[in-house]
Amino acid sequence: MLIKVPSASHFGLDSIGVEVEINLANRGLPGFDIVGLPDKAVDESKERVRTAIINSGVEFPQKKITVNLAPADIPKEGSFYDLPIAVGILAAILQFEIPSRSLFFGEVSLDGSLRHTKGALLFALFARKAGFEHLFLPLPSANEAAIIRGIHVHPVENLQEIVVHLKGENEISPIEYQDDFSEIIPQAEFNMEEILGQEKAKRAVEIAAAGGHNILLMGSPGAGKTMLARAIPGILPLLSEEESLEVTKICSAAGIIPPGGSLVRLRPFRAPHHTISQIGLTGGGSRPQPGEITLSHRGVLFLDEFNEFPRSVLESLRQPLEDGEVTISRSRERVTYPSRFMLVASANPCPCGYLNHSKKPCICSPREIERYRKRVSGPILDRIDIHIEVPDVDIRDLAQDSRAAKFVEASDVIKDRVMKARHLQEKRFHSDRIHTNAEMKNVHIKKHCSLPLEAQQMLAKAAAAFHVSARSYFKLIKIARTIADLEGASSIGVPHLAEALQYRSRVYDAV
Amino acid sequence: MNRGVVAKEDERYPALLKTISDAPKKLYYKGTWDPSLFRACLAVVGTRRMTGYGKRVAEELVGEIAAAGVTIVSGFMYGVDATAHKSAVGVGGKTIAVMPCGIDVIHPEYQKDLYEAIMKQDGLIVSEYEGGFVPTLWSFPRRNRIIAGLSQATLVIEAGEKSGSLITANFAKKFHRKLFAVPGPVTSSVSQGTLKLLEEGATVVKNAQRIISWYKENVPELSQRAQGREKAVAPERDTPQKKIERNILEYLQREPMEIDNLARTLGISAAQIGTVLSLMQLNGLIAEENGKYYIKN
Repeated sequence: MLIKVPSASHFGLDSIGVEVEINLANRGLPGFDIVGLPDKAVDESKERVRTAIINSGVEFPQKKITVNLAPADIPKEGSFYDLPIAVGILAAILQFEIPSRSLFFGEVSLDGSLRHTKGALLFALFARKAGFEHLFLPLPSANEAAIIRGIHVHPVENLQEIVVHLKGENEISPIEYQDDFSEIIPQAEFNMEEILGQEKAKRAVEIAAAGGHNILLMGSPGAGKTMLARAIPGILPLLSEEESLEVTKICSAAGIIPPGGSLVRLRPFRAPHHTISQIGLTGGGSRPQPGEITLSHRGVLFLDEFNEFPRSVLESLRQPLEDGEVTISRSRERVTYPSRFMLVASANPCPCGYLNHSKKPCICSPREIERYRKRVSGPILDRIDIHIEVPDVDIRDLAQDSRAAKFVEASDVIKDRVMKARHLQEKRFHSDRIHTNAEMKNVHIKKHCSLPLEAQQMLAKAAAAFHVSARSYFKLIKIARTIADLEGASSIGVPHLAEALQYRSRVYDAV
Repeated sequence: MNRGVVAKEDERYPALLKTISDAPKKLYYKGTWDPSLFRACLAVVGTRRMTGYGKRVAEELVGEIAAAGVTIVSGFMYGVDATAHKSAVGVGGKTIAVMPCGIDVIHPEYQKDLYEAIMKQDGLIVSEYEGGFVPTLWSFPRRNRIIAGLSQATLVIEAGEKSGSLITANFAKKFHRKLFAVPGPVTSSVSQGTLKLLEEGATVVKNAQRIISWYKENVPELSQRAQGREKAVAPERDTPQKKIERNILEYLQREPMEIDNLARTLGISAAQIGTVLSLMQLNGLIAEENGKYYIKN
């Protein structure tokens, strides 16, 4: 007896249809085999399914069972084939029909219940694209899939429940996606109002957020670099509906959406440790998995202790920083993942960390400092617009300083300014296929950043006085553009450029 | 490049150096040996772990003193030594680097540009060791006696409690030479050495004129040139921008400050302060070192 249950297989963020064929033969020795290039997780499905069916109170047939995942030449991986296989076997034993235009997805537990399974959103997207109407999946994953409109998402708790439904005895009603898009206000880890002092650094972070600029924070340990970086998601505008879906897709593929979780609304913040491998950062593997740069798509990638990352790992950031996506080619397949993130790097000024510290002396020689700084290559630094030193602060002094309180602003207040600036940028670039000032290439700078004569003269003077290189010259204009946007000014003036000069790299651009 | 060796018996051998008890038997040199170089020499020494304050002081003092015709003698180490050489070269002055190694070894090696700049400006690279001698632990303190011995006076800018600069200072005392020291913040570890010297009777240095006038009194040959530069800031009309500038200058006169501190003190946003500071720096009113702004002389 042959039963066919439709399913799918994922490639990066795309999916293709897979048919699960189940045959129960009366001839031959009893057994259970899966063919069609299953990986270990798929192969072990046999044991899970058999035990789950028995524990659901159904007698497991003493027959030769063959499961084929077609097309047979594409490798299959993941635990989500459990449900289609179980449903197929149950349909054969209990004599019910597999409903048409229905997809099954999910991992079964030994007791017959269904577990949260990664990739539910990708599956739902595939279901809609391929014209399916019903999707049966584990209850904890249902919210994730329900984001997609136009299909009925049936949350299944256990095998018994789905059998009852498929026999037509009691219906599992589809869940509706609660369109509370505007109601959820996610919180970042730190609010900007928690950060005392660091007025300049906070301003720099605001500019970076407003223009999507990459930023390098340099300062002694304990100065507050990490806290500043972690506060950034809170001043970035919320994800738009379209961006939200992109991010949720990635999270779904990586399996980082918690059980019961749904659309991701807050911009991601990823902070990989500096021992990360190149594959970990850019993605990879024989079945290419998304790396940290993809997981931080539309959000913040925070690289703490920037100079401690192996050079080859940092160099791999170059192309994704430029293109906003990364293509991972392996012998078997090639996958393109999006990777448009804001890079926030933090570094110590020297190996011991205390160069220019107000209290502790630095014990490094100039040679050591130079070698330490050269660990980061020029091309990477080129792609970081804003460089800023974060001085060490005495928290006890600041806490008592009433003047410091005057400059403390909540993240929401800053976010409003950032959103206004972003809005101006969207309007300016609507025909340019870019979104933020940071993405401007020389053509765009020529088109959108004409400088009045006064500003040109000032910039020429500054270029000579501060040894500004040609590449830094364009960075200055980009930052000045963002500063002008924050102010709502239509053209770049002398004050904007003057402030932009504060964020040039004093360490790396000096001769 | 000129090179050679001057023995103790040679009449070109610096007379002042000859008076010390263990004067080197031979001096190897690179550059042009001009006896007038040794007429008025000031040894400038200090810590390798120079702070922003030390750098600023070294640049200002040495620049002015070297411009007045005094030869700056130092040890070519990074930190205060290198800054002293650089400042002298920067104003077109003369400077002598006394190496702890042979004259063909550049130590530290990455200061090659400075090494060449010194010779290019009629300065000297001097050592008691032969060509390729590699520096050793003991050769550093040994060469300090030459630095002190060559100079009528020694100026110490920033020295820690156990600094090698104190060795040079002690040689200067032993040779009955004049000792100057620049006071620093009592909280700084690299001020402890200089403060100790001051307690023991070294002369406080507040500006370059103090040292230049000492040289004029004690070294009659020193030519009468290069007076202190005058500068006057013409009062300008009072725009809001100018008002902030004036306030900033008032605070910076007391101590160098960071943007954050200025913003809090003046109650003006970091963005606006940053704008004004950039413009002031471009106009040459102030300078910046390690994130702190100070008034430029």
